[in-house]
Amino acid sequence: MIFEGRCICRGKAKGEVIKLDEPLSFLGGVDGATGEMRVRDGNVAGKILVFPKGKGSTVGSFVMYDLMVHGKAPAAVINESAETIVATGAVISSIPMVDQIPSVRLFEDGDIVTVDADRGTVDIEGIVFKEVVSSVVSRNDKCILEKRPDKSHSYPGHWSLVAGKIEDGEKPVDAARREILEETRIKVGEPLGQMPPLYVREGNVLFKVYPFHFDAGDQEPVINEENDEYVWASIEDAKGMKTVTDTVLVMTTFLG
Amino acid sequence: MDLTREEQSILDGEEGEGKQKAMELVTALGKIYGADSLIDITSAHLSGASYKTIGDGGLKYLEDLVGGGAKVSVPSTLNPVGMDRTRWKEMHISEEFAEKQLRIIDLYGQMGIKKTCSCTPYVGPNVPSMGDHVAWAESSALSFVNSYIGARTNREGGPGALAAAILGKTANYGLHLDEKRKPTVVIDADIDGSVFSYSLLGQAVGMAIGSGIPYFKNISPEVEEAKALSAAMAASGSVALYHVEGVTPEAGNFDISGLETIHIGKKELENAYDTLNKVDDVQLIAIGCPHLTEKEMHQIAGFLKDKEKRNKDIEIWFCTSEEIRAKCPEDVKIMERFGPVLADTCMVVAPIEGTFERTATNSAKAGNYLPTLCSQKAMCRDIAALMELVI
Repeated sequence: MIFEGRCICRGKAKGEVIKLDEPLSFLGGVDGATGEMRVRDGNVAGKILVFPKGKGSTVGSFVMYDLMVHGKAPAAVINESAETIVATGAVISSIPMVDQIPSVRLFEDGDIVTVDADRGTVDIEGIVFKEVVSSVVSRNDKCILEKRPDKSHSYPGHWSLVAGKIEDGEKPVDAARREILEETRIKVGEPLGQMPPLYVREGNVLFKVYPFHFDAGDQEPVINEENDEYVWASIEDAKGMKTVTDTVLVMTTFLG
Repeated sequence: MDLTREEQSILDGEEGEGKQKAMELVTALGKIYGADSLIDITSAHLSGASYKTIGDGGLKYLEDLVGGGAKVSVPSTLNPVGMDRTRWKEMHISEEFAEKQLRIIDLYGQMGIKKTCSCTPYVGPNVPSMGDHVAWAESSALSFVNSYIGARTNREGGPGALAAAILGKTANYGLHLDEKRKPTVVIDADIDGSVFSYSLLGQAVGMAIGSGIPYFKNISPEVEEAKALSAAMAASGSVALYHVEGVTPEAGNFDISGLETIHIGKKELENAYDTLNKVDDVQLIAIGCPHLTEKEMHQIAGFLKDKEKRNKDIEIWFCTSEEIRAKCPEDVKIMERFGPVLADTCMVVAPIEGTFERTATNSAKAGNYLPTLCSQKAMCRDIAALMELVI
């Protein structure tokens, strides 16, 4: 699966992903002589190093140069948004670098990734891409959560918003309405809100999730065979439940 | 980004690898910050001069640049280094550190950079003019030349400023553009006008606004006051440009109606003072951040002339540039009775953490960095109050 970003430093590389979910300061975060990471387990040498963006001391640029001198530099760097320190370090050390990749959540440790920084592209091998909708269907400060069966392919036994796959050629908002109708028999009008897409990895499946918010009015759900049961849950209720990734984040955005 | 044919050929490597790498860096940074083109610069000022801050990675980087024949193409100066070139033993510096530090200075020299190492090049060897585009690192100095002189620079990093110096060009974005130099907030200041009060004012404003372009009312800084104000705001916040009503050259260009006004007075200065003072007894008093000017050297010598250092347990360092030290031999003689007048270094970029744990300074900038970059518990008072600790 190829994603388009932007070239910060030219070059090509292929390797295994090592990922950090937080901004990284090379000074203090990585040992310049060995490539050992101090903020997590693992070593950056020869890896495709993925993190949201750089932070911290400007000396970090020279730590990247130190890595290169010692043969311990990452094979490539992928950021969501480049800033001066890491961009400078990548350019002076000739480490291929791409930014404006939608999210570090596209990646998991161990993914085999090909970076073509000249084109600004990143190719993640062997992943299946699915576009889905996920809707907060609310009444006052609560919304419907559905319990997925234990034998479900995706997130078995987890509580989920009203979610489902977008069909070929279908608009996300239409898919959201259709899924709500199929799974709960509730008819909703125009969305009260929507969020920019979220990315969620489950094994080799990469979901691009379009979150929506709809008003249920006084309609009571009637669930179909796709789910075991439903509840009206508040944000606090959801925090105590085993939920699908980002459920609480989406509820908080729309209901918080 | 639109590159001229000549710029593109440099990027394509037709003028050698050294210039190509410099162009790659300047264009990469330009891309990140949305520059549409490159502009010519008239000077550069570089950070990344102390072995303590750049380490072996930085040293190797400089060696490789020099090996590739890199030369600057505009007048360029260098930030303070980790020690006085000749008096480093008095600073408790190791042989290994000294050797590497001297090597770094030499490498910069081979690239054509003036080997005066100061954070106040604008009082001597490197004085931009109003409207000049320049590429300066060193947060306090670039804020001073942006604000007090009306030159134009972004907050460059060390390698970015060096790349710009090699090319004689930098990316055209941010503070190079008229519309990005407009004030964002009005500061109604109520201070006593001493240099130290400007330091605290800067500390308070940086804490209050973080980044942004403050427009000051009710202050009238001269060079020394503006130096303290610039340094403090760039350390407690990331202010790179400010305007002062009736004082700085661009202040009259802007309509400030509708901007939020923040009052900074006694209460805010006390709060700033408390933030910078975390210890009551110290081992080192370090003065000269940013580097002492000639006027400040005279003032300090005048204050110390009839006094005697009684507390021998506390070391005192005075930090200035080689150039200023050479200009003030009589002042130096008096000051040396209290402690060394060190040239081209300072308490922040020297490896003082190997010797000291508690350090006092008169500088809000040093007060911010002593705990983080030097593992010190810090004290920050005006010079007279600091001298009370030893006389």
